[in-house]
Amino acid sequence: MMNRVTSSMTAAAAQRHLQLGAARLAEVQERASTLDKLSRPSDDPTAAGEALRVRNLQASTAQYQRNVDDGSSWLDTVDSTLSSVQGILAKVRDLTVQAGNGALGPDSRDALARQVEGLRADLLQTANTTFAGRNVFAGTSDAPAAFAADGSWSGVPGAAVTRRVGPDTTVRVDADGAATFGTGPGSVFTLLDGLAGDIRSGTSALDRLAALDVRMADVRAVQGDVGTRHAQILRSKETLIDTSTSLEAQRSGLEDLDLAAAVLDLKLQETAYQSALAVTAKVLQPTLMDFLR
Amino acid sequence: MGSTFGGLNTAYSGLVAARTGLDVVGQNIANVNTDGYTRQRLVTTSVESPARVGLASAGTVPGQGVSVDAIARLGDLALDGRVRSAAAADGYQQVRASALSTLEETLGEPRTTGLAAGLTSFWSAWHDVANHAGETAPASVLLARGTAVATTLATGSRAIDAQWSTVRDQVDGQAGQLNQAATEVAALNERIRSGLQQGVGVSELVDRRALLTEKIAGLAGGTVTERADGTVDVLVGGNALVRGDVARTVAVVGGRVLGDAVGLEWADSPGRSLGADSGSLAGSLSLLAPAADGRGGVLAEASAAYDALATQIATQVNAVHRTGATTTGATGLDFFTLQAGVPAARGLSVVPTSATGVASAATGSGALDGTVADAIGRIGASAGSPDRAWSTIVSSTGAASAAERDQAELTGLATTSAKNRQQSGAGVDLDEENLALLSHQRAYQGAARVMSAIDEMLDTLINGMGRVGR
Repeated sequence: MMNRVTSSMTAAAAQRHLQLGAARLAEVQERASTLDKLSRPSDDPTAAGEALRVRNLQASTAQYQRNVDDGSSWLDTVDSTLSSVQGILAKVRDLTVQAGNGALGPDSRDALARQVEGLRADLLQTANTTFAGRNVFAGTSDAPAAFAADGSWSGVPGAAVTRRVGPDTTVRVDADGAATFGTGPGSVFTLLDGLAGDIRSGTSALDRLAALDVRMADVRAVQGDVGTRHAQILRSKETLIDTSTSLEAQRSGLEDLDLAAAVLDLKLQETAYQSALAVTAKVLQPTLMDFLR
Repeated sequence: MGSTFGGLNTAYSGLVAARTGLDVVGQNIANVNTDGYTRQRLVTTSVESPARVGLASAGTVPGQGVSVDAIARLGDLALDGRVRSAAAADGYQQVRASALSTLEETLGEPRTTGLAAGLTSFWSAWHDVANHAGETAPASVLLARGTAVATTLATGSRAIDAQWSTVRDQVDGQAGQLNQAATEVAALNERIRSGLQQGVGVSELVDRRALLTEKIAGLAGGTVTERADGTVDVLVGGNALVRGDVARTVAVVGGRVLGDAVGLEWADSPGRSLGADSGSLAGSLSLLAPAADGRGGVLAEASAAYDALATQIATQVNAVHRTGATTTGATGLDFFTLQAGVPAARGLSVVPTSATGVASAATGSGALDGTVADAIGRIGASAGSPDRAWSTIVSSTGAASAAERDQAELTGLATTSAKNRQQSGAGVDLDEENLALLSHQRAYQGAARVMSAIDEMLDTLINGMGRVGR
């Protein structure tokens, strides 16, 4: 209860109200122009913490998406390489069956052997396929080639090139060279060397045919595995797109201001400030002096 | 019967009272906008008729006019006291609220350039290194981002240090103001006491002293007790800062580096703390307190949190990095190092200078393996990650700042309301002064009219006597 209202009180109150109005106006102006709900943590401490967490998740998701794209390219390369390997091995098998014909003369056998040797060279080249400078069949090795001419493998047993596609999920994106081609004396290259020699000498190559079939089955198994992993990485890609959409929605909900609400707020504060100005002008003017003569 | 010229004297006393009243109104109006001015009123009493003496005096005699007794200062001690206590609480809160608001700005969150963003791009860089192990480009990006994280931490820590120093300087300034105000109050006490003894008006001096005690309350809290001789004692923490015409001096003790204890002592008895618990000085001192497990001074705690975060980043990254091997097979390497002798947040730096120093491969998994780089990249998403720790720092600082701001708003309101009540009693109102002006003017006119009526009466008596019929 105020007993007396004095000039200084009126002036101080008017000044205070104008200052308050101006401060509020400045605040909503800042918000409306940046459209940021959170300009400093104290605006909403909980939301600020949450916003940092969501941004962290967004950055991780973006990174996983990059990993997925990279991994997908690796698997594409591996897959098409394995198809070529299949093709080469199928041709070798045809030639071997052809060489099994006892009616062939030495010249024809020599020609067949040369073809097998040519295919062996192709196979070696295919086995040394690289992606972005890395051997796809010896991913973690820095050796210039995955397989040397004698069929020795430069990869590290058990080591794999993986891409992280989720917080707890990784996908292997290379192929195990040892499982696909075998290593050293047990490798497909040694096998083809033996085949070529058998064909040339006229020895029956049919017993090597069984070994070749086993090798081809191995390649098919590896390719099947690569296909499964490719499907997995594509699924992850879709999941990641969904996740990034929902994370962006969360972030926006936490940080972004609704334009309509911001403009409405701005207009309201503007009106409030203007009426405060008008009222102050009216209240401060008259004193008894204006009416005394 | 009264004397012949008694009426003239009565009218004259009216003239004097009205003129003094007009002067008081003039003083009030002149000081309508003076800070701390308390309005004054003329106090008059009517003068009773003279006592009957002797036999000759008979009949009823009217009073002898008006006497000007005093010019009263219309202040209210209780309201002044309330203004002082509100100012003390407000001084404390405002200092803290503004410091926390500054601290919060130093964090630079939530922004795309803050430490949180720096950390996430640092972890991303590790993933890129995992994808392209052994390549120079991703590794140099990683080193740059690692350095950026270290720089952000160092900048933040330095900003807190700078803020601490600013507050420390403020304390010196505030203590100086306190001593100055105390000296002035003591001097005013002396002048008021002698003024009262000589019967001189001291209202204006009291106004100035009230302003000064209010300033002291805003600086260091304290209570004011009035004494019979018109002087006041100002007590801070139970001890007299001003007693009569004697003022004591307050000294700031303590170092000038964050972590030092800073306090206020009585200059004349070293070692005895001032014990101020409100006012802006107490607020500043509460900000300067050293860290104490989360309950110490805000600035020191924030600085400690930065250091803890830097240590955490270095420890967590190094623990994994040591298990890895570089492309040349070197193992047991650190990625971050903490310089000894400086706060961790400022001593953090990246060890490797090129891709060859980054241990991205698991030992024995081939030179281009990226398992260890991937594991370091995953630290950012783990439950005990530095990112979470940082987010906790940001939220808790934000919450503290919001709480202090709300508190400061409340104390601000209390101050406004106390000030309003004080002004309601003590402030000059122009309408009221105009009315007073009018009534004193009329009183003067009336007294003058009475005087001329008596004069005419005497004229009739003196000049017209014995001229009946002519």
